[in-house]
Amino acid sequence: MSLIDRYVAEVGRHLPEKDRADIEAEIRSMLEDMLEERKQAGRSVDEKMIAEVLEELGDPRLLASQYAPSKRYLIGPGWYDVYIKTLQRVLFTVLPIFAAVTFILTLTEDPLDFIDAAGNAVGGAFNVGLQIWFWMTLVFVLMERSEAVPGETLSSHIRTWTIAQLPELPRTRQISIAETVMNIATELFLMIWIALPVIRGGSDSVPFLHPDLWNFWLPLFFVIMGLTLVHEVFQLKIGNWTPALTATNVILSLISIGYIAALVLTQDVINPAFLAMLDSSLETARLREVVTWSIDISAAVIAGIYVWEIVHSIRMARQFSKQKSEIPASMQKVS
Amino acid sequence: MENDELVQNMLLELRRGVLSIAVLSQLSKEEYGYSLLKALSDLGMEIDQSTLYPLLRRLESQGLLQSDWRIMDEARPRRYYVISPQGRAVLNKLKREWSTMAETMKKMLS
Repeated sequence: MSLIDRYVAEVGRHLPEKDRADIEAEIRSMLEDMLEERKQAGRSVDEKMIAEVLEELGDPRLLASQYAPSKRYLIGPGWYDVYIKTLQRVLFTVLPIFAAVTFILTLTEDPLDFIDAAGNAVGGAFNVGLQIWFWMTLVFVLMERSEAVPGETLSSHIRTWTIAQLPELPRTRQISIAETVMNIATELFLMIWIALPVIRGGSDSVPFLHPDLWNFWLPLFFVIMGLTLVHEVFQLKIGNWTPALTATNVILSLISIGYIAALVLTQDVINPAFLAMLDSSLETARLREVVTWSIDISAAVIAGIYVWEIVHSIRMARQFSKQKSEIPASMQKVS
Repeated sequence: MENDELVQNMLLELRRGVLSIAVLSQLSKEEYGYSLLKALSDLGMEIDQSTLYPLLRRLESQGLLQSDWRIMDEARPRRYYVISPQGRAVLNKLKREWSTMAETMKKMLS
């Protein structure tokens, strides 16, 4: 009987523990029935007959898999697409940022060691990638397992499904999160750069901007920047160029253009002490000319960016309202 | 030739649902696995043991069959299966569905 024992044990090895003894007993009983039938046909039970019977039953692993209703996969088709997409998105955003930050941080310690910095960036990104992959997979495996038998949940889901459960179309954003965050960071950086000499209050460094500007123009600058930051936060939250968001954007941009124009045309922007401090072979008058000229150009470029921003937001707003009006129209056609 | 596997798979799927009905229909009186296999085979429904036995367990876990180990006719202990009240109700529904479907298919395929 050793062949039978081995066969039954092999089946049992691939069965869930709680059903194992019972199923093993059943298979044994079934094998004996098969042998008995052959015996009644006039043959005697021998190794050859046992082998024949076992081969009729087939691969023990296959037989076991027929019995096992348990999941034999980590992440099933229900979650697989979401899993891959999420993993891709997270890896492609986190890893480049992580690598870049590591690269720069290593360089600040030793500005010449490019090879070391690159090595740190790649190695670190690899480790972080492995971590993300592992934890993300674990989360999805748990989600897969937290559901009951998939067939059952699916059928009960279909039975009770109503149109209310149909998900909305995925909301598309016109305003990129990354771009807006970059803008916010740039604006904060600019504000800190301007405010820092005043906050520090040290007299050892000569500020770049004319001190008289603090009487009116720089406080006004902070007010406008503050409003812009608030607007930027709303851009992040709303994500699309709604009429209100567009209108406020146009107003803010016009105020900014007016501010820059008035500032450059009526004020001395650069601190004369700063100019005097520059050790230059140029004559002071000539230097002043160059600096004024470059300030004017910068102002013109900034104003140009604001104009473009106005045009862009209005164009996007038109697109957005068109999209919104299209959806009800198509629904009317259906009904 | 490469269609063979395709046909095999489709037949397998086609049989899967039918087998459950066949098994339920033949268990109004107690049978053990091997005797049921023979009964089905005598009626022309050939089925692998490696398919039948797991199917019996699945139907039991769904509450459509009942079973227990028993000694009958002074033989070895065997596991006997019989349809449960719930199984009978399900079988009746399936029977009705089957006859409608068979008629429809007959119309389609003739």
